[in-house]
Amino acid sequence: MAASTHTSVLKHHFDRLDQQHASERLGMWMFLATEVLFFSGLFGAYTVYRLYYPTEFEFASSKLNRVIATINTLFLITSSMTITFGIRSAKLGDRSGLIRYLVLTLLLGTAFMVLKAFEYTADYEERYMPGTLFRSEYNAAFEAIFPTDPQQKPLSREEAKLYFEKDAQSEHPKHQHWAAELVLLNYRKSTADPDYIDPGKVQLFLSFYYIMTGIHGIHILAGLGCLIWLIIEAARDAIPPENYSTVEVVSLYWHLVDGIWLFLMPLLYLAGAGWVATY
Amino acid sequence: MSFLPSFIPERASILADRFEALFWYITLTTATVGLLIYIFIIYCCIRYRRSRSPGTTPRILGSHRLEIAWTIIPTIVFFTFYGWGVAVYNYAFHPPEDALEIFVIGKQWMWKAQYPSGQRVIIGGNPANMTEAERASIGKLVVPLGRPVKLTLTSEDVIHNFGIPAFRSKMDVLPGRYTTSWFEATKLGEYHVFCDQYCGTWHSLMVGKVHVVTPEEFEEFLLGARSSQGSENPVDGSLAFQGRQLFMKLQCSTCHTAKPSARAPVLEGLYGSKVHLKGNRTEIADEQYIIESILKPRAKVVEGWEPIMPSYEGQVTAEDLAALVQYIRSLKRGTTLDRTEDFPVPVGAPTERPEPISPVKGKN
Amino acid sequence: MSAVLTRWGLSTTPPPEPPPAEPNYLNHNYSIWSWLFTTDHKRIGILYLISITLFFVGGGIAAGVVRLNLLAPNGAIVTEDVYNRAFTAHGVLMLFFFLIPAVPAVFGNFFIPMMIGAKDLAFPKLNLASWYVFMLGAACAAWSVLVGGIDTGWTLYPPYSTRASQASVVPGVLGAFIAGFSSIMTGLNIMVTIHKMRAPGLTWNRLPLFVWALYATSLIQLLATPVLGITLVLLMVERMWGVGIFDPSIGGDPVLFQHLFWFYSHPAVYIMILPGMGVISEVITCFSRKNIFGYAAVAWSSVGIAVVGFLLWAHHMFVAGISFYAAILFSFLSMLVAVPSAIKVFNWTATLYRGSITFQAPMIFALGFIFLFIIGGLTGLYLATLGTDIHLHDTYFVVAHFHFVMVGGMVMAYFAALHYWWPKMFGRMYSDWWSRLAAMIIIVGFFLTFIPQFIMGYHGMPRRYPNYPANLQILNVMSTAGGSILGLGYLMPAIYLTLSLINGPKASSNPWSATGLEWQTPSPPSIHNFEETPIVVCGPYEYAIGVDQMGRPLPEGPGEGGPIDPASHAGHPYPAGPVPKETEVVG
Repeated sequence: MAASTHTSVLKHHFDRLDQQHASERLGMWMFLATEVLFFSGLFGAYTVYRLYYPTEFEFASSKLNRVIATINTLFLITSSMTITFGIRSAKLGDRSGLIRYLVLTLLLGTAFMVLKAFEYTADYEERYMPGTLFRSEYNAAFEAIFPTDPQQKPLSREEAKLYFEKDAQSEHPKHQHWAAELVLLNYRKSTADPDYIDPGKVQLFLSFYYIMTGIHGIHILAGLGCLIWLIIEAARDAIPPENYSTVEVVSLYWHLVDGIWLFLMPLLYLAGAGWVATY
Repeated sequence: MSFLPSFIPERASILADRFEALFWYITLTTATVGLLIYIFIIYCCIRYRRSRSPGTTPRILGSHRLEIAWTIIPTIVFFTFYGWGVAVYNYAFHPPEDALEIFVIGKQWMWKAQYPSGQRVIIGGNPANMTEAERASIGKLVVPLGRPVKLTLTSEDVIHNFGIPAFRSKMDVLPGRYTTSWFEATKLGEYHVFCDQYCGTWHSLMVGKVHVVTPEEFEEFLLGARSSQGSENPVDGSLAFQGRQLFMKLQCSTCHTAKPSARAPVLEGLYGSKVHLKGNRTEIADEQYIIESILKPRAKVVEGWEPIMPSYEGQVTAEDLAALVQYIRSLKRGTTLDRTEDFPVPVGAPTERPEPISPVKGKN
Repeated sequence: MSAVLTRWGLSTTPPPEPPPAEPNYLNHNYSIWSWLFTTDHKRIGILYLISITLFFVGGGIAAGVVRLNLLAPNGAIVTEDVYNRAFTAHGVLMLFFFLIPAVPAVFGNFFIPMMIGAKDLAFPKLNLASWYVFMLGAACAAWSVLVGGIDTGWTLYPPYSTRASQASVVPGVLGAFIAGFSSIMTGLNIMVTIHKMRAPGLTWNRLPLFVWALYATSLIQLLATPVLGITLVLLMVERMWGVGIFDPSIGGDPVLFQHLFWFYSHPAVYIMILPGMGVISEVITCFSRKNIFGYAAVAWSSVGIAVVGFLLWAHHMFVAGISFYAAILFSFLSMLVAVPSAIKVFNWTATLYRGSITFQAPMIFALGFIFLFIIGGLTGLYLATLGTDIHLHDTYFVVAHFHFVMVGGMVMAYFAALHYWWPKMFGRMYSDWWSRLAAMIIIVGFFLTFIPQFIMGYHGMPRRYPNYPANLQILNVMSTAGGSILGLGYLMPAIYLTLSLINGPKASSNPWSATGLEWQTPSPPSIHNFEETPIVVCGPYEYAIGVDQMGRPLPEGPGEGGPIDPASHAGHPYPAGPVPKETEVVG
């Protein structure tokens, strides 16, 4: 195989292969440093707001789907393992093993994205998105208790609770459960109340949720693209053992993306795991 | 060189003096160092130019002693700036407890100030963005001499910055948050207020004036008798301003107008002046006189006018009277208002339609 | 491999003039595709040079509009809206599309591999990609200008930029965001190249200071730019969907944007100035025929600036509503960063001492840099000092300060670099007389433009004001007049440098008799720079001994007051001081 000869792997501007590999590895590490700083802006901002508005963040987090997130975490951790096996195969020159592990990684990553897509869809159907959707849902639930029409009497807290419970059990609930809960929690509270849950700040959390998971998702997609490229290269037998660092470099990136998820998971999904509604 | 701005800008607060001391300390220090370096460079360029020192140069690699010296000495000098700077900032950042508090709200593109006693005044901005009523209350930020004034600042829209160069004070004005700035004026006069944080199209018109007055004048201003100097009308929220609204509501302005068609004497500058009454009498127009003229208009009729004014007894309360007096007191030449859209003609009033007021030239 | 040399200089004869190596990087292929798909770092450097020159002209025109409009206290030529768009365009173009890429992407790209004896940067394709990404960013910025411009100021503070502005903010921000990636790619490439591709014998302590400066710059590009990236993403999300984390109406904090923005944009000023400092170290040593004074101090002060530069962003926010204690902390750290800059200036001036100085254009620009940077740096102290910053913040004092650093410093260094390396890049000499004249005019014009602005700022004139109090008109007129001289000065290089390409005399491979490895290649360099990998035996500035980094004698220097007498080196004793007696070459 021509690909396994020394000269074709070494690029023209490098003197030695180990220099080339070291450069690739160093370049990837530096890129990872860049990525860490990219996300650290978000994490920093998140920290600030979490400290400002702990209750709202807990409430908002408690409405996210923790089951999907847990399964996704497992997928990603496993995929980090499989890609590492892939490096070993590449180093040993085990082409079929390499392809097998790369495909496995690809499948796990794809499964993550598919589940994520289901989660986003469900969030959308619940109108659990910041902006106009959120506002209109919240306002509708608010309107149900405190009608603008002066002819109608506002519901008492118990009436409101019953109304929302009944609504939730109906086949086509008129009000999203989170909106109902939010309105009930804020029943007859002034905005100055310490335990008033400001819908604006709930949206702030949701902004973080969508931006952070969205950017993470884009990174996963980029990783999947790299994996597909690696699989094609491996299938063409273009990854000789002396060039295993290509797989290693991609795996570094993949680990970083996993690592970031391991931060997103507690910050976004587990923040509200202990939330108990008291109304 | 009188066309150039004066060497040191006007100083009108305690902070300004502290700023200048620090500023000139830094200037003298840095200018000395800078000049020494300049001289050394120029000396080297002349002394060691190729034509004078051709050929070899010595192989000088450096000197640890010099490196340490020019690391440590500048550090020490810089930290004298730092320490002094912290002291001045500490002074500027922490207003005294007993400071007079004025709320200032920035919005695109005007400054709205409100005094604790209720007066409101717009300290300039772009008149084109204002409502008629806002335009009418364009004035100046009146502050007393020698008394700490704390400004509590907030914004209705974007970030602004309330800066008064003569006081060397400046603070960002943020939406959803309160910031403070304070000063103690030391010199009477009028000074610029600038918006220093870019806020959009008319950023550069978000300017106004702060007017430092004596404490006595400031008391009068708080009463409403003195307008915020430069405004043609009493400031919004003051007693005199209420009087002005009553003046319109009761249709006083229909007859007591400055127009030729007036059916009653114009009241500008009336307060405190000598009035010639029918029957060859004269009287000083004081508070008592004005109240009497409102309640019993025909008792004392001014020479040259018909006794056509109805009595307002029973229509106005004691508070209303106080407000009307304060308004009349504040009326200066050329400031009588005509009826505007803000004060529609009441049913049954004379139907002659007055001219709208011209836009107030309150901008500085 | 390793070899031990016991003597300075491997050979005693001057290196033979490399034959006018026929295929060089410019003439081996003339097709447009050979340029657009090149992975040669030199060609990419030239592509960058052409693009940033365009943006410099664009930014200059915007500056012209701003300065002309300020001739009259109520705006001389344009409306407020146009003025606001003009100064924003000036800021965005000059900062993101000229100053940041100016030296790293043009001269860094072109000369870092040559100075360290490499054939190319570590990732040539990434390098080309960075240019395309840069141009894509520029296209977005151009799009924003074409649909009406952006009027937020380059600082893009929300909520003005996210809610109030009527202009096309998103394309402009997108442009800056995309251009940021190009900056990251260049920084990453240069950093890896410096780490991994140095020629044998080129230890860290023998690196030219330009390489050190670019290393420090790349560090900032790598670590700061992504933070700006995410901040701009958040800004665009908020602008487009009305939902975001800076919106005060839902509890967001617009000051947080300022923190994140300045976390990048303060280090970014060091991205702009550090490469310039590196250029000055090269030029000063070459034209005064001296070793740099305090190599380690100059090298490490670059790294010091890069590191400390990350810790003082909030000194832009002393009156923005941050806490008292935050302010005193950030003021303290800002004082610290002034120290390494001062060290550099002292070392440069000490380098001149007992030199043999000539005043070709690069040297005049370099001296201009030092003169102007001293003022720029010292006036920075007023702004780092809390007590004085309150009044001077957001006035023309700040404008003048950063123009002294950015234009007086960086643009001056850019021109120094351009004149210093022009013969190497294009193999042609430019007019000596005209270039010196242009350098003088630029320096004088600069002083006239920006000194009045210090006075204006001291008198409280806020920045970004098309309408200002009438008593400041005279200063504004002076500044605009100076600006026209400056503009003339900038036009002149465009003419004589272009002419030099057409009929300039051919440049020798080392016209300045400089020591760096880049001068050991033909002018213009061949495709792979070095026919064989150079072996470095000594530090970068052995002008006193008269040897280049490969230990070979330097050719005759440029004439002025007579060339250096080569004979004077012949009997030169081995250098005194801490010269390594044995120089180890590490493989």
